[in-house]
Order: sequence, then C-alpha cells, then structure tokens
Amino acid sequence: MAAINRPTPALLQEYLWKHELPRRRLHHPLLPSPEKILRYGAIVGSAIQCHSTIDRAMEHARQHITHLEERGVSAASGTVILADTLVRSKGRFSRTWHAPTGGLWGCLILADTFMGRARTLLPLTLGVACCEAVHELGARNACVRWVNDVLVSGQKLAGFLVESFRSPTHNESFHLLGFGININNNCFPDPLANMAVSLSQVLGHPINLHDFTLSFLAKMAWNVGLICYEEEQGLHCDFSWEDRGNTEEQKDHLLLEQWKNVSDTIGKRVIYGYDIQQKPQYEARVTGIKPDGGIIMRLDDDHEIIEHSGELQYL
Amino acid sequence: MAEEIDFDAILGKYHSDPYDYVDICATHTGRISFKVALGSIVNSASGEWLHIPGSPLFEITRERNPKLVTAKTNGTISSIRTELEGQFVEAGEKLLTIRHPLKKKEVIESILKEVLYLFPAPERAKYFFSLDIQSRIEKKGARDLSIKPGDEIIIMSLMKRDTPIYYTGEAGVIHSVYFTPGISVDQGQPLIGICASDKLPLIQKVITRVKADWDKIVESASLEE
Repeated sequence: MAAINRPTPALLQEYLWKHELPRRRLHHPLLPSPEKILRYGAIVGSAIQCHSTIDRAMEHARQHITHLEERGVSAASGTVILADTLVRSKGRFSRTWHAPTGGLWGCLILADTFMGRARTLLPLTLGVACCEAVHELGARNACVRWVNDVLVSGQKLAGFLVESFRSPTHNESFHLLGFGININNNCFPDPLANMAVSLSQVLGHPINLHDFTLSFLAKMAWNVGLICYEEEQGLHCDFSWEDRGNTEEQKDHLLLEQWKNVSDTIGKRVIYGYDIQQKPQYEARVTGIKPDGGIIMRLDDDHEIIEHSGELQYL
Repeated sequence: MAEEIDFDAILGKYHSDPYDYVDICATHTGRISFKVALGSIVNSASGEWLHIPGSPLFEITRERNPKLVTAKTNGTISSIRTELEGQFVEAGEKLLTIRHPLKKKEVIESILKEVLYLFPAPERAKYFFSLDIQSRIEKKGARDLSIKPGDEIIIMSLMKRDTPIYYTGEAGVIHSVYFTPGISVDQGQPLIGICASDKLPLIQKVITRVKADWDKIVESASLEE
C-alpha cells in the first residue's frame, strides 16, 4: 500500500530555498551567513523513504544501514524514513508510543561527522525544529521542556529519541534521530488520553501533514546547519566551549540561543529523575542551561546541581 | 593477572601507608589562586545527590572566566606547589596532592583495581546495562555472565542521546560494577571490572584476606601513630 505522506528531496530543497531561507533572513538579520547555515544543514532529507506502515522507524533505520552495507554501499547521511503508521513504536525506557495515521512519525539518519561537544547538542535540534514549525502554524503556546519534549499547556505534542548506531560491517557510526509528532491523530488510548494532544486539537482544524513535514524537515536542516556552522566558527575562536555565554564577546551557541527562545524550562520548579516515571529523584528550580546543554538547577538547600541526562516534570 | 598473589606484600604496603595519594592537576590552562595550604583538611562532595561541593582547592581563571575547583575526595593536603600562586599554568600541570585515609572497602577496591581489567567511561554521562545484558544479569548474576570484545554491554545516556558502548577489553566475567544507573560517571572512571572466570576464586581469596586482616592493620597503625 502506498504511503499517504510522500514528501520528496526535491520538494524539500525547493521549500528550503524558497521559504525557509527568506524566513531565516527576516528573523535573524544579524546572522552573517544564513545561506551557509542552510547549506550545511541541507543534507537533511538527502533521501526520503515513505512507508505506509512499518514496525519501528529506528529499527527500520538500523536495518536500512545494515542492508546497504551488505551490498557494499553506505547509507546516505540525511536519509529520512517516514511512515503513516508505526505498529510497534516505543518511547524511552520501553514506554509505549501511540503512532496511528495522522501523525508525523519517522527517523533521520545522520552520519557521525560531528565533534564531541556538537554531538551533545544534537538532541536539542529536534525539539527546537518542531516548536518552530508548530509556532509558524499559530500554536504559539507550544514550548520545549528540557531536553526536547514539546508540550502545549502541559500536554505532550511531540517526543523524540536519539540513539547512536554502529554499523556491523564497517563500524561506521550514525545518529538516529527519531521523531513522533501528534498532528491530526486526535484519539489517544487511555493511559495517554490526558497527557497527549495533537496539533489539530490545539488549533481547532486539520493540518496539512505534507506541508508540515516539509516545514519540520526544513527547520531540522537549519538547526543541524547551526551545529555545523558553530563547529566551523569554533575552529577560529580562542575561547573554549565551556566559557561560552559568559561574556559579551563569547555569545551563546546559536542553537542554545534558539532553544532558549522556544523553551519555558528556565525558571520552572521541577521534579528531576533519570527515569521520571519510575524513579523521581528530587525537586528543584531550573536556573539556566550550560553551554554544553546541561541543565542547571537550584535545590531547596540552595545548592546548585547540574544534570546532563535524565528528565524533568514541571510542578 | 598473576597466578599467585603475595597477600603479605599487598597488605604490608597498605599497613605501612594506609593512604591513597590523589594528585590534583589543572583542568585547563589559566591563572591559579590557591584556596588551601599544606596540611589543610579537605572534605569531598556531600548531600543526598552529592550536590554540596567539597572544600575549595583553587580557582583557575581563563579568559576572565574564573572556575572554582573543589575536592572530590576527603583528606589532608600533603603537597602543594605554592610557587604557582598567581601564575599561568598549562592544562594537566600538577598543583597539589590530597592524602586520603583508606577504609577497608576502599582497600579491597584498590587491590581489585590492580588485578581486574577496568573498562572506563568514554564520557561524563549516565550509564546502564543494555537490555540483553541486564536481563542476563537478573537471571544468572554478573559473575556467571561472560563477555567478550565487541559485545554491546552498556548504554551511555547523555542529553537524551543513547549510545551503545561495545566492550573492548579482555574476555571474562563481570566481577565489579562501579556505576549506578541514574548517577553520572566522570570520563575515564571505571564502569566495570572484568576478570577471567578461572581467576574468580583467587580474587575471592583477596577479598576474604583483606576483610579478615584489615581491622588488625588499622588498629596497629593507629597504635603506632
């Protein structure tokens, strides 16, 4: 059965240069080279597979890389795997994720060509890109909760998973960026009914899934491009990554700046846990984000704690 | 690993000097301002989440960004390079040493670390066993679980990015686990200690002997002091 949602690399390229670039020029007038950033990120969607139904997008990506290797070919970095429906989707820690027709479900494969520190920020790209795409359609109250969950009034609109994968034959490393965005899927099974929301529910009308997919992938291209651009800029700087954001000359990483624009986490009182559903650990107030993406929190005894992994729940 | 272990030599070493000497080096380049002196007593991080920093050791300033470095182990400052006060140092330059009094458990760990193959954390992150390894550990216990180079044993979790870690050391069984799921491990710190399965009885002998003899050693050391 043919997939319903069928964007193509050519359509995405057209969207990037006709729509995304003028928008970025408008919103970032001080950025010296938005074209360069977009060129760096234009690898996103270099190949797009559209399926009607698959089991899990991440697993499909692993099989895709492995099968290509067996034929002596390497998977194209930037390949996107999309499916109208996922039948065995899951979230972190084997949590269930409901992925029926109407949502945007898939996985982006990126070859691991990033430097160590840049790699750490990769998961932020998903939440920022999704939030930007959703804002553009008018859902201005969507916000990113650290690391990359997208919530509207406390209900989850989108969730993301990032896993690394080493190919079995040639030991090439890839990042698999899984995405699940509730677009027109308005019915959620019982445990999720009060926790999840779709974009069409938020806006009160159906959304054109094809157009949203192009917009989301274009914003992924921009945000991945920011990481590459900052890597390049970093090679010309004297100061260290850890010192960024501390002084006027050492501004925040551009991706972190974007993250701060779309996140409401800083200032929130939260519960922190590595697996928040199974084992909440402590309550604190979020006071900032480190240049490497770590979240800074202040505990009730007034001591500061920094976490680079785990989950938050707002209080 | 040696076939036989000279228990008397090992215990004698800890008997004569039951301390660990922890060298503290500059984390990066910068100008140094010490916060301790020779003989100062320092405490390690504390609190339920180890969130209360240890005693301040020195401040290092790079590009007008001062960073306070605190003690991660308790003890006494046994050497300090006071000539570096106010000077610019390179990353890795040794600045001071903390003399840390060892406890019985630490002595056992210390001896084990000499005889086990230690598999280090590639980055500061949180770690957990891969699902397959975890279920095998739950069924059989870690010491009945053989691992070999190339096995996917641990998942590294950093900024919600999960990376499988493949084992690269000697084949053997997991004797010691040095990480707790949900607690960050610093880069280079051991995650697991591995030994060949036929060496397990020998290692058990080390533990039994230290447990039996350590209290006597500490008692006599404190009498001598």
